[in-house]
Amino acid sequence: MTILQVNGLVAGYEPGLSIVKGASIHAAEAEIVVILGPNGAGKSSLIKAIAGLVPITAGQVLLDGHDITAVPAHLKIRQGLAFVPQTENIFPLMTVEENLHVAGGILPRAEVAPRIAEMFETFPDLARQRALMAGSLSGGQRQMLAVARALIVRPRVLMLDEPSAGLSPKLVEQVFARLSEIRQAGLTIVLVEQNARAALAIGDRAYVLVEGREAHEGPAKTLWDNPLIAELYLGHRKDAS
Amino acid sequence: MSLQFLLDGLIAGAMIGLGAIGVTLTYSILRFSNFAHGDFMAWGAYAALAVVGAIGGSLPMAPLSFGWPLVLAMIVAMGLTALLALGLDWVLFARLRARGQSIIVVMASFGASMALRSLLEFMFTSRPTYFSRAIQIAQPVGLGIRVTADQVALLLLTLALVIGMHLFMQRSQRGREMRAYSQNPALARVVGIDVAKVVRATWIIGAALACASGVMVGVLVQIRPLMGLDLLLPIFAAAILGGIGSVPGAVLGGLIIGLSEAAAVQFVGAEWRAAVAFVILMAVLLVRPMGLFGVAER
Repeated sequence: MTILQVNGLVAGYEPGLSIVKGASIHAAEAEIVVILGPNGAGKSSLIKAIAGLVPITAGQVLLDGHDITAVPAHLKIRQGLAFVPQTENIFPLMTVEENLHVAGGILPRAEVAPRIAEMFETFPDLARQRALMAGSLSGGQRQMLAVARALIVRPRVLMLDEPSAGLSPKLVEQVFARLSEIRQAGLTIVLVEQNARAALAIGDRAYVLVEGREAHEGPAKTLWDNPLIAELYLGHRKDAS
Repeated sequence: MSLQFLLDGLIAGAMIGLGAIGVTLTYSILRFSNFAHGDFMAWGAYAALAVVGAIGGSLPMAPLSFGWPLVLAMIVAMGLTALLALGLDWVLFARLRARGQSIIVVMASFGASMALRSLLEFMFTSRPTYFSRAIQIAQPVGLGIRVTADQVALLLLTLALVIGMHLFMQRSQRGREMRAYSQNPALARVVGIDVAKVVRATWIIGAALACASGVMVGVLVQIRPLMGLDLLLPIFAAAILGGIGSVPGAVLGGLIIGLSEAAAVQFVGAEWRAAVAFVILMAVLLVRPMGLFGVAER
């Protein structure tokens, strides 16, 4: 069943200067959808626009069949759409626990403490650092906190913008393994990534975005062999196997 | 050597610190320097004066110089000053903030400051006035320091307000939201924080504390339309010294400025009092631009 449907989205920071130029994607329940593309293709702008952070000038975003195109960013999380930005995705001058607390603010008050406890069970590393300022965490721990912060409100769709950015290969493996586990719980994940190989390894389906719109869509496991991917990521065109 | 300057500095610092909390919150959350903040203090004091006048006279609560009407009036005036700030934001600042150029908002706050001050002069004249004309006798408390009951009461009020403010910012959800929004407005929106509510809370808290500070000045010194303007530089110096965005920093900055001014009066000369805040402001900007508790901008 399709949870997130994006139709012909046009978006950009300045009026008349669109970065996303008619992109259409969809994601089904418990699916990991990967969005790839060269630098400047509009990948980050696309999910930022879906999250409500980049003005949309045309197109439609449907969440579970409901049109949320014009819903303000702070209300989208209440409807089940969570977003983890690439950088500055935590509040550095608040403790780990405060980061979770502030995000849990949209839950009924009685649920906040139990959900924080659940997040600490899911991410034991964070439990050990709960009283530390989030700004003092390592890159991997920050990503885990950002994911935990998004998950605390039980979203239906989790969108992540390059969660592997700046992480060592070992940490990338850990973060992606954790995302795979989270998907097992029924969460839909939309993943924008530069690290195509790692993202396609855990993805179900993938889109390749070129110049603001999708140029290719296909199963993630076979996309690495696609000539378009080879051209974009390896610098030369090769035949599809 | 008399240590009286320590008490005088502490009291001046308390008034400056309360004002600086509003300035630091406005700057870190609404991203502009509000030069009308001093006028919220003056409007708060005059609002309390008007409410006291409406309630009518009553005997002072000995040994204080004021009675319960002033306590009630200050609470009402805090609400009225908050309404003034919200109204000003609705009419002026919010519209200009939406254009995204903070320098325009800063210049507008200069204009608003002059308009608010002129309105006070129009309504109440520029002559000083007082909550009470009763003379208080300062009592010796040791080390050559003398203190009045009003001074003790207002120091305790400041302490209560600062502790309450600290608990609000650290323990309440709205306080956490305000801190989160000041650190990263875009992320705050993503996690579900309603920006409009954060903006309202910022104005209400800043204006209410400015009113409390204005009433303190009115009780201990006098009430004049220019009282806020006189305190504006020390307030900004305190906010910058403490580190923009830091509530404890604003209070500590206020105390340092207040004590420095009082020390300057005692050891250098009263004519140097106003220069002290300016010198400290310049020194902080040169040596540690992020202030005592501030963090460097990314």
